[in-house]
Amino acid sequence: MKPIIRIVDLWKRYNSDEQDGIALRGANLEVMPGDIIALFGKSGSGKTTLLNLIAGLDKPTHGLIEIEGKNIETMNENGRTELRRNRIGFIFQFFNLLPTLTAFENVLFSLELVGKPDKNAVLEALHAVNLHNKEHRYPHELSGGEQQRVAIARAIVKKPAIILADEPTGNLDTNTGTQILELLVSQCHTLNTTLVMVSHAINTCQFANRFMKMTDGILVEEASCEGIDF
Amino acid sequence: MKIVIKAFLRYLLRRRSLSILQLLGIACGVASVVGMTLSARSALSSFNEAVEFLRGKATHLIERPAGSMEEDVIAKIMHDPAVDFLAPTIDRRIRLTNEGDLIRVLGIDPFLDRSIRPEIARAVTSEEEGISRDAFFDFLLKDKSVFIDRNLANQLKISKGNALETSKGNLNIVGIFSNPSGEPLILMDIGHAQKLFDMSGNIDRIDLILNDETAFRLRWDAGFKIESNRQRRETLTALLGAFRLNLQALSLLALFVGVFLIYNTAMFTVVNRRRDAGIMRSLGASRREILWAFLSEILLFGVTGGAIGGLLGYLLSRFLTGLMGSTISSLYFFLNPSPLSWSWWNIAAGITLGCGASIFGGISPLIELIRTEPAKTIRGRTYFRMSPKTVKNVSLIGLGVITLSALLLIMSFLHVYVGFAGTFVFLLGVSLLTGWTLTICVPPMRRLFNLIGKTAGKIAAGNILLNMNRTSIAVAAFMIALSMSIGLGSLINSFRQSLIWWMNSQLRGDIYISTRGDVEVPLDFYEELKKIKGIGGIDIFRTLQTTYNNTPVYITSIDASVLQKYARFGWVKGGDENWEPVKTGSVIVSESFARRFNIKKGNTIYVKGINGPAPLSVAAIFYDYASEHGVIMMDRSTFIDLFNDHTINSLGIFVDPAQQDKQSIIEEVKRRAKNRGLPTSTQEQLHNRILSVFDNTFAVTTSMRIIAIIIAFFGIAGALMTLFVERQREFGIYRALGFSTKQIACITFLEGIGMGIISFIMSIGTGTALAFILIKVINLRSFNWTIFYHFSLNPYLVTFLTALFASIGACLYPLWKVYKTYPQMQIREE
Repeated sequence: MKPIIRIVDLWKRYNSDEQDGIALRGANLEVMPGDIIALFGKSGSGKTTLLNLIAGLDKPTHGLIEIEGKNIETMNENGRTELRRNRIGFIFQFFNLLPTLTAFENVLFSLELVGKPDKNAVLEALHAVNLHNKEHRYPHELSGGEQQRVAIARAIVKKPAIILADEPTGNLDTNTGTQILELLVSQCHTLNTTLVMVSHAINTCQFANRFMKMTDGILVEEASCEGIDF
Repeated sequence: MKIVIKAFLRYLLRRRSLSILQLLGIACGVASVVGMTLSARSALSSFNEAVEFLRGKATHLIERPAGSMEEDVIAKIMHDPAVDFLAPTIDRRIRLTNEGDLIRVLGIDPFLDRSIRPEIARAVTSEEEGISRDAFFDFLLKDKSVFIDRNLANQLKISKGNALETSKGNLNIVGIFSNPSGEPLILMDIGHAQKLFDMSGNIDRIDLILNDETAFRLRWDAGFKIESNRQRRETLTALLGAFRLNLQALSLLALFVGVFLIYNTAMFTVVNRRRDAGIMRSLGASRREILWAFLSEILLFGVTGGAIGGLLGYLLSRFLTGLMGSTISSLYFFLNPSPLSWSWWNIAAGITLGCGASIFGGISPLIELIRTEPAKTIRGRTYFRMSPKTVKNVSLIGLGVITLSALLLIMSFLHVYVGFAGTFVFLLGVSLLTGWTLTICVPPMRRLFNLIGKTAGKIAAGNILLNMNRTSIAVAAFMIALSMSIGLGSLINSFRQSLIWWMNSQLRGDIYISTRGDVEVPLDFYEELKKIKGIGGIDIFRTLQTTYNNTPVYITSIDASVLQKYARFGWVKGGDENWEPVKTGSVIVSESFARRFNIKKGNTIYVKGINGPAPLSVAAIFYDYASEHGVIMMDRSTFIDLFNDHTINSLGIFVDPAQQDKQSIIEEVKRRAKNRGLPTSTQEQLHNRILSVFDNTFAVTTSMRIIAIIIAFFGIAGALMTLFVERQREFGIYRALGFSTKQIACITFLEGIGMGIISFIMSIGTGTALAFILIKVINLRSFNWTIFYHFSLNPYLVTFLTALFASIGACLYPLWKVYKTYPQMQIREE
């Protein structure tokens, strides 16, 4: 089986005035379809940078990133946009719902980008995340947990090959966080979607089958959560 | 991509107050440009219509170089084979009542005029026009019978059968006619007009239709001035040249401030939506989709704001047209321009301008936004802080732009438009230094605000710096408006002071007889006054408009001996010894004449007199503000030799300084003038009247100053509102930390005041520099006269108060929002 994500000697250096330094120092990684990966690490260790690079939201300083066997460095902007649009779902710590769209419209937005604005699919996705009564509410009318559910529905509705989740429970209480993770992972299992999630929370361990630790830009795979500092 | 656009457009509804402010900003920007342009067009087209209406089908006119022409010339010209048709004309002005407007009176021969001005002739003869046979006979046979145009009749609320009160007695209105031009007109039979204006046996000119211009000129050139229509039109157009230039400058100024504000608004739109764009990009929206979504939002603003602006601009033009008519009437001749009629093109022009400027304003941040990696844009406003390096780079670009403006200003000798370009480039350059100025001004302001509002004060000052990408644009827009206020204020003040200096040096007579254009002073009255004991000298003044090198100029005659003794002319070079050669046939010319025709002291100029072109030596150049067209001044003896014209327009009487009872001599002159029905003015009255005309002429400029301030007000208000809307989460944190509503209001208020103060500080230097540019470059190139810079605190004080009140005004709505919404604010991500 070929890896769905392959990263080889990936470096990212920030030279802007605001962030001077190296975020990634030669990261290597192979992710198989259906893997559920938990990526741990302290703030500023480079986790979010890695996700952004995988999604083509940022450009690496050096190294190779392959998604489904295609080098994203060789893709032009349209190619990267198509990749995000069709093959990748993104879930953020701060939800990042579009404030002027209802829950329903936020989810429909993903399908519209794909070119299949199927309203039934949107309702099903919202149903799957237990939000079937709240589809016409705007983000500010929803709780944090509910907003994150909308974000999950938005990510899964287009049935992507990969979901990248940047601390999806970081802004939620433990119980809600656990519920969200259960929901997310179950959806990924159902659709055989690969999930890479950045986390600080110990409860993430029970949902992942692979564990990664990022320290000062260096990525190391751990056999379990036992050696990881939370 | 319906949802992307929907997401953007809903934002406008959600933040209605901000959207309305932004919309009003664009509308005001567009309104100022449309209003100024329409009113300028209206005034100038009314002028052109008046010229065309009076010209009719005439191809040429013939007149004496100065003064009136003997009527027996008509018979001789009539038999000239080059003449197809002719019409003798008396073209004078009459004052309504004693202090009313000067109205043009055209004395015509309705029979001969049929071929030259059929519209006018038909107006008094044709029954089709509703003119009865009786009215026509009255017009021909009864003294003081006139036709007046419908607009004038409506304005004065008089009709056929009524009397029209004038300074030359009542005129009987026997008919009303339609006049498509903006210049009020009274028609009179030429014979009656001769009587009314004491011109027995004389006429002003003959309008001609020629079949052979060259042959006619050969036969009639000596002693006459023959002007073709083209020359006439050029002369009259040149008459309003400087005024037209002034309007163009004001329109451009309106455009600059308007576009700046629209730019400001469009840029806010893009900057505000940075994070949303990042989210969409991360979810797979393409650059093009984001670009279209932004453009649809910007264009919606442009179209709506532009349409509202087009409508407001039309309404504004109705007001400004009146002001322009009043300025033209004060400076040149009475014109009552009608505002242009409503046209949907006004809306179309507004939309084009609104959209164009919005795209221009939004395009740079938009390109930057879509080029940036989504990972950066998703961080939204926190990322978009201006780094010291960026501030430095922008400031360096600003300095480069200012250097470029200096080059353009130096090169303004090529054309005044180069000077205009230099001025606008200068303002643009200074606005690029706003970021740097903020970094200099905010630290001391922080200490000051700390004293006023403690922590809230410090936060307010910090916010101005922290949100520099927004505040700097608003401060720049406001600074430009305030600089315009200081610059134009200083220009007007300096001009006024220069004018006062000029009046005190040239118009030093103790009393003046007839300084009004419609009254002439009889020669025997001059002789009578000379006999009064105690009068040291009388200056006999005569002025006439003529052309020099096909450009309108004025020739004036004075008594050089009297002026040498009593006046204190401001000479460009030399002193009162310059009068000596004037007494023996040389002339002096005004600075504007010398600059316009590149004449220097000692040059010889040729002026066409009754015996053909006469060489006149230029003895000196003097400072003068009487006419921007240029003045050739000569002694009366030289003038009479040249033109054989003995007309006296006014007398300036100088009482012998040794006389004890100066006032009684003045009273005696007044009494005698009154007996002759001649108006008098003391020196003070004359000076006041000139200053009043001066103030009138700057009414349009003053309106422009006010409009600029209003536009800038919306700029500041929009910036404050944007900051308020953007910082809802931050306010939630303040609330959680225990900040009271009053403290948040204090932050908002001090931010507004702080931006106003920094704008004012910048405008002190920029406005002063602008004043120098306007005085030393634009004015000099437009009017060819030197205005001396006079410092006055007044424009600065007025501008400071304007800045203060506009800033407070701009804070009011955000403050109201604070009091209304802050108590419910929570820390929420969205």
